[in-house]
Amino acid sequence: MRGACAGDLHLFSAAGLRQPVDQLVDMFQKETGNKVFVDYAGSGHLVARIIASGQCDLFLPASLYYIQAIEKEDIVDSYRGIVVNMPVIGVNRNKEQLIRSFEDLTRPGVRLALGDPEAMAYGRIAMQILEKSGMKEKIVKNVVVQGATVKQLALYVAQGDADASIIGRADAIQFKDRIKIVSIPDEYIVTEVVAIALLKDAAARPEAIRFRDFMSSAKAIDIFRQFGFLPLGEGERQKGYLR
Amino acid sequence: MKGLHRLFFIALFLMALLVAGVIFALVFRLSFRELWDAVSSAEVLFALRLSLLTSLAAIAVALVLGLPSGYLLARQSFRGKAILDTLLDIPLVMTPLVAGVGLLFLFGQTFLGRHLASVGINLIFSPWGVVLAQAFIAAPIIARTCKAAFEEVSPRYEWAAQTLGLSPLRTFFRVTLPMARQGILSGIVLAWARAIGEFGATLMVAGSTRMKTETLPIAVFLNISSGEIGIALSCALILIAVGFIILLILKQIGNNHRPELPMKEVG
Repeated sequence: MRGACAGDLHLFSAAGLRQPVDQLVDMFQKETGNKVFVDYAGSGHLVARIIASGQCDLFLPASLYYIQAIEKEDIVDSYRGIVVNMPVIGVNRNKEQLIRSFEDLTRPGVRLALGDPEAMAYGRIAMQILEKSGMKEKIVKNVVVQGATVKQLALYVAQGDADASIIGRADAIQFKDRIKIVSIPDEYIVTEVVAIALLKDAAARPEAIRFRDFMSSAKAIDIFRQFGFLPLGEGERQKGYLR
Repeated sequence: MKGLHRLFFIALFLMALLVAGVIFALVFRLSFRELWDAVSSAEVLFALRLSLLTSLAAIAVALVLGLPSGYLLARQSFRGKAILDTLLDIPLVMTPLVAGVGLLFLFGQTFLGRHLASVGINLIFSPWGVVLAQAFIAAPIIARTCKAAFEEVSPRYEWAAQTLGLSPLRTFFRVTLPMARQGILSGIVLAWARAIGEFGATLMVAGSTRMKTETLPIAVFLNISSGEIGIALSCALILIAVGFIILLILKQIGNNHRPELPMKEVG
């Protein structure tokens, strides 16, 4: 389907980033006249698809982790960090009294939904946070379901099928009528950097470079912030998250 | 006729080639070692067992609901039948993911869901949720195929059996059911194939909890997401192999047990 026209770009984007990405792609197309075709799916699925097909110019996963995963294949040209999706505890509004702090996740009877630790970013992050907190065993006992995408977890909490979950701040804000944010103590937090990678065999290289830089520009970061993402912290900026 | 048959044979050959090509492409990516590791892993064995058990339970539920429904739709006419008939087809045209969200909303934190949970029936986030999701898709297929199968059996045989003194119940089991057997079996085959491959609805209703609600299709999805392509492909191949064997057995049963009565030809 790609390459209908010289200068067309093919972007693989994490489905969880769809709202800001849709808006930004629209802006980019109007500004430059270059068409951007976007495939949305789970980051892990996109990795499998990139490795199997190689048919992709730019890769925008929910976490830098997935870019590092394909770096081994020697197909990444360069990448830029964009924003941070801060993990938070999303609590069903009817359970606000039950869960007011991280420690409350250990309470017997709390019904937790967590992501699968191997298949999705927020599953892995939740596990790291639980391990850092030293309360992993007690909290894991309360897990009633594991999901495969972060929006699925948010839906379970919004519907009240689970009382709480560890999800991205942006995901909780999307359901803000039904989900209350309880923050995770700084000492347990593991942040997730959203980054965009340019792949080595991008067909339209100059346009792809332009899109990479557009997505990490101040204007793009502003759009991401409107959806609840946070700008890269000082530490993250120093580390650069770019190569 | 012969020339036409040859032409049709090309179509048949192309279809078979495509299916075989897909299977070959999947097998080709996999080393024997990877397949063996996967087949002997606890996770894959769990998924296989769960898939077999839930799909069998789902087919049982679907038969109990679908077979009588199909019979009624074939034999009775009543007001609003066309609408009811079409309504039963809705799960087949629904995207499974939407069916799953709908089932979650219906059986989740609702009056219905809470009352079922209070008597110990937990459909959400449990293996029973897998059965629910599969049966939701399988029952309409059974109803549909049973309806067609019963329509093939002329009610005259039922009348004749009853004038000869058979009770309605025995007539159904001794005359109608054996005569409709072929159609019902092919319905079971279709429904079972859909049930064991069901993914979207299962994901929403039961979740994808490893070693709890992880069916083979869920295992494929989880392992592709985590980059374990070897395990994912192995699960897919097991699913295909199990499906092939069961479909073959069911088809054999269907062929060997044609009713001995000559009625079949007339019906």
